[in-house]
Formats: sequence, C-alpha cells, structure tokens
Amino acid sequence: MKKKGFTKLIAALLVVALIGTGCQGQNEGKNAKGDGANNVVEIDFWAAPNPTQQSFWKKMADGYMKEHKNVKIKVSPMPESPSSEAGIQSAIASGHAPVISENISRGFAAQLAASHAIVPLDEFKGFAELISKRQMKETISGWKFADNHQYVLPIYSNAMLFAWRMDVLKELGYDAPPKTYSEVIELGKKLKKKYPDKFLWARADLVKPTWWARWFDFFMLYNAASNGNNFIKGNKFVADDEAGVKTLQFFSDLSKNDLLLTREATDPFENATAIMVDLGPWTFPYWAEKFPEMEFKQNYVLSLPPVPDDVDPNNVKTFADTKGLVIYASATKEQQQAAFDFIKWVYSDANNDLAWFKQTNLPPARDDLSTNEAFASYLAENPQLKQYAENIPNAIPPMDNEKTVEIQELIGKEALNPVVKGQKTADKAWEDMKKAINGVLK
Amino acid sequence: MAGSKKLKTALLYVLAFVVLIIMVFPYLYMILSSLAPWEQVDRKIIPTKLTLRSYEWLFTGGDGVVPRPWLRAFFNSIFVTLSSTVLMLVTAILVGYSLAKLKFKGSRFLNNVILFQMFYPAVILLIPLFLIVRYSGMYDTYWAMILPKAVSLWAIFMYTNFFRSIPDELIEAAKMDGAGQLTIIARIVLPMSKSITTIIFLFLFMERWVELLWDMLVVNNEKMLTLNVLLAQMFGPYGAYPGPMYAASVLLTFPILILFIIFSKNFKEGMQFVLK
Amino acid sequence: MASPYLIYSIIFFLFPLCWAIYLAFTNWNLIAPDYEMVGLQNFIEAFFSKSVRAAFWVTYKFMLMFVPIVIAGSLCLALIIHSLPKLKGLFSVGYFLPYLASGVASAIVVNGVLSYNSPLNTFFRHSFGLDIDWLGSPILAPLIIALMMAWKFMGYYALLFLSGLESIPKEIYEAAEIDGAVGWKRFWHVTVPMLYPSFYTVTILAVGLMFGIFTEPYVLTGGGPDYSTHTWQLEIYNQAFEKLNAGYGTAIAIINSVVTFASILVFRKVLEKWGARHGWE
Repeated sequence: MKKKGFTKLIAALLVVALIGTGCQGQNEGKNAKGDGANNVVEIDFWAAPNPTQQSFWKKMADGYMKEHKNVKIKVSPMPESPSSEAGIQSAIASGHAPVISENISRGFAAQLAASHAIVPLDEFKGFAELISKRQMKETISGWKFADNHQYVLPIYSNAMLFAWRMDVLKELGYDAPPKTYSEVIELGKKLKKKYPDKFLWARADLVKPTWWARWFDFFMLYNAASNGNNFIKGNKFVADDEAGVKTLQFFSDLSKNDLLLTREATDPFENATAIMVDLGPWTFPYWAEKFPEMEFKQNYVLSLPPVPDDVDPNNVKTFADTKGLVIYASATKEQQQAAFDFIKWVYSDANNDLAWFKQTNLPPARDDLSTNEAFASYLAENPQLKQYAENIPNAIPPMDNEKTVEIQELIGKEALNPVVKGQKTADKAWEDMKKAINGVLK
Repeated sequence: MAGSKKLKTALLYVLAFVVLIIMVFPYLYMILSSLAPWEQVDRKIIPTKLTLRSYEWLFTGGDGVVPRPWLRAFFNSIFVTLSSTVLMLVTAILVGYSLAKLKFKGSRFLNNVILFQMFYPAVILLIPLFLIVRYSGMYDTYWAMILPKAVSLWAIFMYTNFFRSIPDELIEAAKMDGAGQLTIIARIVLPMSKSITTIIFLFLFMERWVELLWDMLVVNNEKMLTLNVLLAQMFGPYGAYPGPMYAASVLLTFPILILFIIFSKNFKEGMQFVLK
Repeated sequence: MASPYLIYSIIFFLFPLCWAIYLAFTNWNLIAPDYEMVGLQNFIEAFFSKSVRAAFWVTYKFMLMFVPIVIAGSLCLALIIHSLPKLKGLFSVGYFLPYLASGVASAIVVNGVLSYNSPLNTFFRHSFGLDIDWLGSPILAPLIIALMMAWKFMGYYALLFLSGLESIPKEIYEAAEIDGAVGWKRFWHVTVPMLYPSFYTVTILAVGLMFGIFTEPYVLTGGGPDYSTHTWQLEIYNQAFEKLNAGYGTAIAIINSVVTFASILVFRKVLEKWGARHGWE
C-alpha cells in the first residue's frame, strides 16, 4: 500500500517537474559560448534604467544585427534595486554578469577594475581608431586610471547646471539668477518675504547619506567653490579645506533661512514650490511628457553653480555627471571582441551620437560637440542643451577611487546631512568628515 | 425601550460602516488615483474626471520609451504563486495525513523535525538558500522562486490537526474495502476538508503573492520578475510618475481582492471551522 | 509517504542550516574566490556595530507601537462585528481585506498620502501651520510603518478575537448580570479575562511579526531616518546582498534568530504566568 502511494507521488512530482521545465522562462544562456557551427556570438547588453537609453540601444542593436548576421545582441535594462551598482555587483556575484553595460561611473569602474571584473578597453583592436573617429582624445584623457589603462568608454557628459524659475525671479525683481552665495541668500530672503510657503531648493537627498546624491549637491558647489580642485587624488584626501568649509557654510545658511525643503515632494520645481534645482538634461524629455508648459528663458533659465563671495563668478566649474560603457571579464574573448566591435560601429558615425542626443538629451562625450556640424542644427533648435554642451570643458568628472561609495556616504553622514539639519557647524562637519575619510583611505 | 434599541443598532451599523470605509480607504484611494488625471494624483482625494492615461502609460511607456513588462510580471506572479501554493498544499496534505493517521517508525521523529522547523526562524537559511540557488544554476528561473518555497509548515500543522479529528473508523472502513492510501486521501479525506483547504489555499496564495525579499534575491532578469518585485523596483524611478504606479498597484492588488471576495463564502465557513 | 518531504527538508533546510553555521565563521564576500575562517570575529563585529544594535532596538520600538495598537484595534473590530445582529459575515470579510495588500502597494499609497502637496499635508499647513515631516522624523517614521502594519493585521486578528467572543458562554454573562456587572464593568471583568486564549494568540503572533519586518521599511524609508526603521531583515539584506558580506550577514541572521527565539519565549512565559494567575491553564 505505502509503496504504491510513494511511487504515485514520485510520478506526480516528475510530471510537475516536466511541466515546470517546459514553462521555464527566458534563460537563454546568459553567457552562452558562441555556437561553434554557425559562429553566432550572443551578447547581453545592459542598458541604463532610463527608458530613453534602452530605446536607443535597442535601435542600435537591431541596426547592427541587420548588417552582422553572426552576432546576436540582447538589450535589457539593468537591475536597479537597491542601486544599479549593487545590481551589477550581485550579478557578478551570482555569475550572471552581462557582456557589456553602460551607466558605469568612473568611481564604480575603479571598484570593478580593482576586483578584475572588467577588461581594459585600450587593449582591444581598433581602440585608437574609435577614439579618433569619435573625436574623443581630450575627453577620454581625463578617464585614465592609475595603471594607465582605459576601462570605460564615456558615452555622455552632463555638465550639471542649476535651473531657476525665471518667472518667479522676475517677480522678485531679478532678471538674471544670482551668482554668489550672498546674492543667493538675499534672493532667498526676498522669496520668503513674498512667498513664505516657497523654498529655494527642494531636495530630500540633502538629509540622506545616499552616496551618488552628493554628485548633484555637494560636488556641484564644491567644484565651483574650489575652482575644480580635486577631492581625492589616488589614495589621498587633497580637497581644498577653505573652499569645502565655505560650501558647507552655504548649505548651513540656506538651511537656517528655511530655504531648503528636505521632505519628499513630487515635482517641486515644476510646481514652483522651489525656485532652484540641480538639473540634468535628462529632465527635458520628462518635461516634454509631463510638463510641456516649461519653456526655456520664460519659466526657467540655466546657470552654473553659485560661488563664495570671494571667488570669480565667471568661468565657474561644475560637476560632470558622466558615465560610460565597460566590458566584463566574465565574458568569453569572442564575446568581448564582438561587443567592442559593436561599440566601434555605433560610434564611428556621428549621426548615431546625434540620435542618442535627440532621444536622451544627454550630451555625447565628444570634444567637438559644440563645433561639429552634425549637431549644430539640433543645438540651435534646443538652446537649453547648447548651454550644457558649451560647459563640458568646465565640468569635473567624479573621483576614481575604489572606495568612492564609502567616501561619498561619509560626506553625507558626517558633513552635509548634519549641517543641513543644523546639528553641526560647517567647520566641525568638515573636520569630522576629513577624519572619517582618511580613516577609510588607509 | 424598543425604540432606543433600534436606534442603538442603527448607530452601530453606521459605525461599522464608517470603520469599513476607513479600512478599505487605501484601496479606494489606489484605484481612484490610478484613474485620475496626472495633475490631480496625490493632490485631490477624489478626482474631478477620470482618465486611462496611467494605464496606457504603463503598458506603452509614453513617447519613444520602452515600457516595463507589467503584464509579463503579472503572469509570472500568477504562475509562481499558484505553483508554490499547490505544492505547499500537496505536501501539507500528504505529510499531515501521514502524521495524523499513519503509524510508522519515523513518525515521532518527523513530528519533532517539523516542530523544530516551525520554531526555527527562517532568516538563517536566507543566505545559504540563495547560494544553493546560485550554484545549482537555478538563478533567474521559475524553479528558484517555487522550489525553496514549496513547503509551508503552517499548512502541515493545520492539516495534521484537522486530519487528527477525522474518525479512524472511516479510514478503517475504506481500508476494508481495499482502498490504497492515496485513494483514501482523494476519496474520503479531501472532500471532507473542502473548507479548511479553501482557507489554507487562500492564506498561502496571498502570502506568496506579496512576497518581496526572496523573489527579489533570486531573479535579476526583468522578464522573470514577479509583479510585486517589479513594482518595488519602480518605486524610485517611477516616483515621478505616481499615476502609473497606482495603476500597477491596482494590477497587483485587485485580482487578489476579487479572488478573495469570490471565495468569501468558503472563507467564512472555513474560518468558523479553523477558529473553533 | 512523507519521505519526499524528508528529502526536501534535507536539501532545503538541514543542508543550508549547516552551511549557515559554517558561513558565519568566515569572512567570505560572495565574489572573492578565497576567504578565511575568522572565528568569532563576525559576531563580535556585529555586537559592536551601530546598525546591528539599531536593528535590535528598532524591533522593540516597533513592538511597543504595533502590539498595543493592533490589539486594541482588532478587539474593537471584533466587538463591533460581534454586536451586529445581521451582516456579520460582510463586515468580517470587509475588515479582513487590508490583510490582502502587498506591502509595496500600501507603501505607494502611504507615500502618496504623505507627500508634500497631498490634501492631508496641505490641510495641516493651512489649518494649523504645521509642516510635519512624516517619514523624516525618527519617531513618526516607525509609527507610520507600525500603523500600516496594524491596518493590515487588524482584520485578521479581529477574527481571532471574534471567535473568542462568540465562544464565551451566555451563562457567564447571565451570571455576571445577576452580580450586577454590566457595561464597562462587564467588559473588563468578564469579557476580557474570558478572552485570554485569544489575547495570547494575538500577542504572540504580533510579537513574532516584529522580527520579520522587511518590505515596508525597505520600500518606504530604506531603514532611515537615522536607522529609526532599520530592522533585522533590512540589516541582513544590506550586509549580505548589498555589501556582499555573506559571512558577516549570516552571523547577523543567527543572532537575529536567537534574539527572536528568546524574546518570544519570554513573552510566552509572561503570558502563561498571567493566565495561570487568573485561572487559565
């Protein structure tokens, strides 16, 4: 009796197992070796979690596959939770890394290179050609790593700017955005007088230790205040103390005057709840869909970050939000070369960069962006993008230290967060942060 | 006096109803927000007009943008949840019956094993189970989501208790008639346990449907994500598009609500049984 | 017939359990090909870690908020349903509906309702001039999550209380009435003590729940602000899967299990003592 029951059970389980295998989802050999007979190489391309970027790469992949029947490129969005970096790390950890991905920052690449998870791109056949065809010599020079190799091919470079609600500024009697710290505070006071419910800057991240958020608040201002002084060089803390403290003091003053909104709010700038915001060009497609009434020069204008009173407000530096492509070491040599060839094909034609620019509004990382004819008409039609393109030389890319995440978290935890919350003075915050960072760098 | 009693009762009903509205308010808010014009989402409680824009956007992604696989995720959720739940029911019935009715050598041992497993917080197993999934190549497959969650100790416990209450004579009688164990289960025991099975099914299904941590860990590929995980991932990036977030939430929530309401009669009967 | 289950248990329970105990003594980080045995280092590190300590206290903080609210709430719901002459079923089902919500979906609603320009906050600002930072305050944030969970579980626990209420024999009430106990008196001195088994079950369930909170803080607050909603599961997830410290993470998981086990044991003993004193076995 029991034996029979047992057998029946095993049979039932087998059936379930068979059905399950039949319905098994897309597990098309993530790192499948090329099929020897037909020599078809399969590549997994991870696009950024930004829908416009995915769309672009899908188009590029389709175009490439038409001309190259022996390559199969699968474009999918990279996992994003808790962050795209963590997603990539866990993919590597579980042996499911793609062949190539975009959205890699300099700091993260440093981490990956240190654990040998990515391969140097300058060792690929055709690298020099790619650089010259895409006019990238200047741009890419800033990306070299300490071992003199290039691990990332930067795709775009956003020279971060601040946007201001020009309509509100006009009401307050300004016809141009303020340029120095005191001017900003003065504007803020006038704002509060007329509109006590409004804020200067709405940014919930100011009180969170989120590491990458520092690019868009602290570093924008620090780069301007220190005129592009490096924060970390190699493994040393080389930041300009005076400029750093002044930057923190600025945040402190903003906070004291109730000019910062640190609560989560939806679209505060678009709703004129806040009149200034750190803005990257990726916002424009978002506005086109959700806030078509935002007009350059009417509702908003763009400017470089404000500077401390004793710094020259002309020729200001800012932060370059720039990311690029890396190729992963876990892929086969065949896959790696195929991926590189794909990229070379894409970037050998300036029109592809133009298509990228049009679709994502992210300025391609080229030396000739503001001079090349191919982009001229597009920039003329979109003067707000022109300002981004023009400021690329003024933008400083992120640090390339392996411990970028921890360092930037410390900037938040020890300095920016407490200063904004009114818990520390600017001097103490800077000292504490410096100590903590030096502790990590050892 | 009769009059004041009626009044009291009426007030009681009003109270009960108000409380009910409060309890289901989040669901109402969810569905209203999913149908509201985008400027009114999270600004007004009741929208002045209704639009399907959020749903449209969810499935077509707006201009020139690749939409997320919401429908695929929905089906993933259904497949994974249903498979897990069925497996949990089957194992629970078989093990519960064995423990309750069959005398065999290891039954005390098995009983103790199960008790031990019940009191052992599952969190310790989280990392090793993840590693098992990763090393056995199950990562990013349906197996990874179903198999490690194919057993519910609670269900085993419930069925064991329930089966214990079935009179042995019934089983003996069937045995006399030459029925094998599985036949006994299928023909006698199962029909008797309709109510409790419904309850257990509903609870297991629902618990599995809203699971986040495990499904998030073992699956990376966007096409394999369950709806719950996909929604959680979109919390940040789609934060600026709250309308479609609500639409996705409705997709996640309302099927369960509807399933539940359809089975509410069985649920009520079953609960009577379980709680007594 | 149960042997497949035993096989399953060995693969998915026993084996991982042993592996976990082994892992907890290593410093493996999920990617590196080599690692070392580090003895008790993980446990010591965890003991001194700010985030692990936070997780420890946060659990009890949630408990303090959640358990009284959910018990009071579900008892009220049960009383309401119990007193209704008709439509009991309708309301039982209705009050149970929140239990079906996914933590993610509820988080979306809560986020929306608490956002800066929502009707709720606009009302507070215009009527009272109050600008409440709901999710940014270390006291309010856990309270919000506790309330979310209470909302979810009230209907479920109400059913447990309801069955308890319905099983109180009428004779007890009649006897009490003879003794002159009516209204509040009757409630406190007759009903509540008779509900002891339900109280016991609900309390233990509620307490046990506190050690496994993950989804709501993960989606809504990320453990903040200042670790005020940083639960055990969140800490384990962070350590093992974000920072890739598998060995350390497992050690924390073990500590978590021990703490959970011990706490529930304490609660049970206390409840049983109380019950014994009032005549329950």
